Amino acid sequence: MAAEREQMTEQTAQPEPNDDLLLRVRGLKTEFVTRRGTIKAVRDVSLDVHRAEKVGIVGESGCGKSALALSILGLISSPGRVVAGEVWLNGRELASLSDREMQVVRGRNVSLIFQDPMTSLDPVMTIGSQITESILKHQRGISRRAARDRAIELLRDVEVPLAERRIDDFPHQLSGGMRQRVMIAIALANDPDLLIADEPTTALDVTTQAQVIDVLERLVEERNAAVILITHNLGVVAEFCDTVKVMYAGRIVEEATTDVLFRAPTHPYTEALLHSVPDPKRLARGPLPTIPGAPPSLADLPPGCSFEPRCPLGQGVEVCLEQAPFPIEVGSPGSIVVSECHFAQDRWAEAHNPTEGVQSHE
Amino acid sequence: MVRVIVNKVTSSIATIFGASVVAFVLLRVLPGDPARLIAGSLASDEAIAGVRRQLGLDQPLHVQYIRYITDFFTGDWGFSFSSGVPVKEILGSRFPATAELALYAFLFAFLSALVLALLATYREWPVVDGVVRALSSFGLGTPPFWFAILALIVFFEQFGLLPGPSGRLSSATTPPPLLTGFYTIDALVAGQFDILGEAIKHLILPVVSLGLVPFAFLVRLLRANLLEISSEPFIVVVRSKGIGRWLTHVRHALPNAFLPTLTASGLILAELLTGSVLVERIFTWPGVGALVVDSIKRQDFAVVQTFILLSASLYILVNLVVDILYGVIDPRTRIPTTEAR
Amino acid sequence: MSATVSQSIEPQTGATAARNSSFREAVGIFFEDRALLLALAVIILLLGLAVLGPVFWAKDPTSVDAGSALEPPSAEHLMGTDGAGRDVFARFYAGARISLTVGAIVVTLGAIIGGLIGMIAGTSGGWLDNLLMRLMDAILAFPPLILAMAVTIGLGVGIRTAAIGIIITSVPWYARLIRSEVIRVRSLPFIEAAVAIGASRARIIGRHVIPHVISTLLVQAAASFGYAILTLAALGFVGLGAQIPTPEWGAMITEGLAHAITGRWWVGVFPGLGVLMAVTAANIVADRARALLDPRGALADL
Repeated sequence: MAAEREQMTEQTAQPEPNDDLLLRVRGLKTEFVTRRGTIKAVRDVSLDVHRAEKVGIVGESGCGKSALALSILGLISSPGRVVAGEVWLNGRELASLSDREMQVVRGRNVSLIFQDPMTSLDPVMTIGSQITESILKHQRGISRRAARDRAIELLRDVEVPLAERRIDDFPHQLSGGMRQRVMIAIALANDPDLLIADEPTTALDVTTQAQVIDVLERLVEERNAAVILITHNLGVVAEFCDTVKVMYAGRIVEEATTDVLFRAPTHPYTEALLHSVPDPKRLARGPLPTIPGAPPSLADLPPGCSFEPRCPLGQGVEVCLEQAPFPIEVGSPGSIVVSECHFAQDRWAEAHNPTEGVQSHE
Repeated sequence: MVRVIVNKVTSSIATIFGASVVAFVLLRVLPGDPARLIAGSLASDEAIAGVRRQLGLDQPLHVQYIRYITDFFTGDWGFSFSSGVPVKEILGSRFPATAELALYAFLFAFLSALVLALLATYREWPVVDGVVRALSSFGLGTPPFWFAILALIVFFEQFGLLPGPSGRLSSATTPPPLLTGFYTIDALVAGQFDILGEAIKHLILPVVSLGLVPFAFLVRLLRANLLEISSEPFIVVVRSKGIGRWLTHVRHALPNAFLPTLTASGLILAELLTGSVLVERIFTWPGVGALVVDSIKRQDFAVVQTFILLSASLYILVNLVVDILYGVIDPRTRIPTTEAR
Repeated sequence: MSATVSQSIEPQTGATAARNSSFREAVGIFFEDRALLLALAVIILLLGLAVLGPVFWAKDPTSVDAGSALEPPSAEHLMGTDGAGRDVFARFYAGARISLTVGAIVVTLGAIIGGLIGMIAGTSGGWLDNLLMRLMDAILAFPPLILAMAVTIGLGVGIRTAAIGIIITSVPWYARLIRSEVIRVRSLPFIEAAVAIGASRARIIGRHVIPHVISTLLVQAAASFGYAILTLAALGFVGLGAQIPTPEWGAMITEGLAHAITGRWWVGVFPGLGVLMAVTAANIVADRARALLDPRGALADL
């Protein structure tokens, strides 16, 4: 079964020249070899990102989202290794590049924003020099003065007040929200085509979250950059992203445009995720819905569907136990969903030709 | 920051006093009568009593102690009991030898540790890392005096590559004109390159013997810190900007990892400067360490108690400098954390 | 070594499975660590020699035989003979016995005394704490070797007084360490909880503080063991510790120095190797113990 699935992804390997396609990932596999076994963090992931597209990647902790981001940029270090897959950026294949060649791409064509602003900055360097470091690396021939001016400009862009003074501050003099803005400034310093934001708001309080997302949204619009937003915050995804990919146990189990996904998820996991968002209307009526059980160990995966033990639909069902599902395209043109569930087709049918009333998941 | 320094200074002074009390008590407890030693074994009781009065040894203890402290701080360090030479002069004449040895040993240990720790942690090179770790383990376990002997056997006795234990220069050579007391610097300044070469050759074995243990200690510390820092998130962030591995390691990991090493380095330097008895003995190095051991054996209070206070002061001074440097290097100590929304 | 990875990827196993496998894991790690195994083997070897040496080797460490002085290592004298014709190998294991015994005693006494001082200081606070710590600082301000030497001269030379001197110089390390551990543990939430339930102070110290402190003490003791042996050898070398003809490694090295210049390397090199092996092994064990019990805790920047 697994072999057939691999064959399927390989068929679509070489991309056709397409002006609109920015990033194409095919069959990415990343593993970590530890004493407890080989952890398969990214299991045969494929995705496309178009110019100026905003893609959301959603999933629980430990599903491999961060590993995916790092793998794309070749930043997986021992004991991890990217064992298979190809990554094309602007038609150029990245996975085979040497580290030196990748250095030109990082920070220039693709930038990363990390999760925890408290630990993402060098404590002994001013924030200004951390911004100019990126500028000076990629913009050949620019003077230090000009780089510094540009850094101040960037700080203003991300709405850091008194930018010309704060540029010489050290990270510990800034709050979490401010530091995250500095991270955004660093990431956008060289006008990248693609921005990968790995849980940019997880470590912030709710008000600051909103501010940071606003800043991000505005800047991305202005520069026409594509974004891969990795998060487990569905609200942010709903507001910000064009398309959504749901990740579970190292694989993308469902992908669709945002409104289609939110309206009619086919994969039981997606449905459960949406269901677990606290709804004020339902709060009064009993305990918060959760997804029972825990994600499987990525070192010790079951042969069948990885969601089976927790699946309200497939638990104990033979086909779910024995066969890992294929990605299947369901739906009609205009609202296509790619889903990895044995019952995807049926669920789509039921959602759109309801026998017992429409299920809406707003 | 200022308050921190003031605190440190006050507690340092308190510590010096504490050390002085301990030294004072210790020495007074020693059996034997220095007055008799000075006066000579044939002197009459009267003469001995006279010497005792002269040294102030007939006064009650607390008076003696006060005199001891005040004399030290006013620079009146008395005379060596056994040789009659002013203590200041003896210590002063021997200190440059120890200082030269100590400083070179420190530089050797520090620079080697820096380079090797960086190499061992920069990339996954298990061989390099293994070698560095082994060097560190053995270095820490090797008695420096034994290593010195071994080195002498190999390089001097067996292969004749380096000079034997004849001190800073061979007995036939006259030292360069006195400027700093460091033969290497003085010879360089005076243009006496042959003497410079000789001084350097005589320094090699003692420097390595003395610097081996500090090197082992520093390399282990720095390596551990570098490894720890290398797994911090901000390092990946730097790499995501497109910065290369070596540059990331040196420009970002090293400054952060360096701080604990700074404290250790200070302590090591202080320890080296207060003389390494053993190595000096083996190489017949005319330094302070050998002097002090002999003085202890001869119950030459004056020398010993001055030396003890001096070295205690040195330790404390070095600690203070390290603390200040810490503030300079680590902005977090210097500038308080402020919240800004 | 990406921290992002360790944050996001965590193998989830069932609780009981984890408990069983982590013990097996620990044993596995133990045996994989070749340096540790080697270190332990060395210590066992030295112990064995010290204890069983006289049983298997006929030569006497102190019997003088001027006729066969300064003979190189041979089948009859595994490590050669020294200036007075004594068999170096016999003196080697006798020296092992001395060093290991003294090391153990010094470390035990130092730990107990220093530990007590540290605990008293840590649990009392206030002027007692201050006084004790100033005293410790005063001792620490001395070059340790000088202090030990002064003690031996004051109390008479010999191994016993050397041991006392070494104990005095190592007490402050234990005291400072234990005190900071006690202070750290005191403010941990579970202590507050114990107080809240109404546990008496003695009970708190006995049931909660002491177990925490013991493991720290053990690690420090292992590291001090090496230091004790080194210092003992140093004192013997200077002539203030063991006196010739006692077969102590340090004193033997002194003898060896004189003969080294004339090419008789075995007299000084073997005892030095003994010190090297013992101290390195002790350090490695201490290192691993620390890594196991306390990777980034109080011992991290000793």
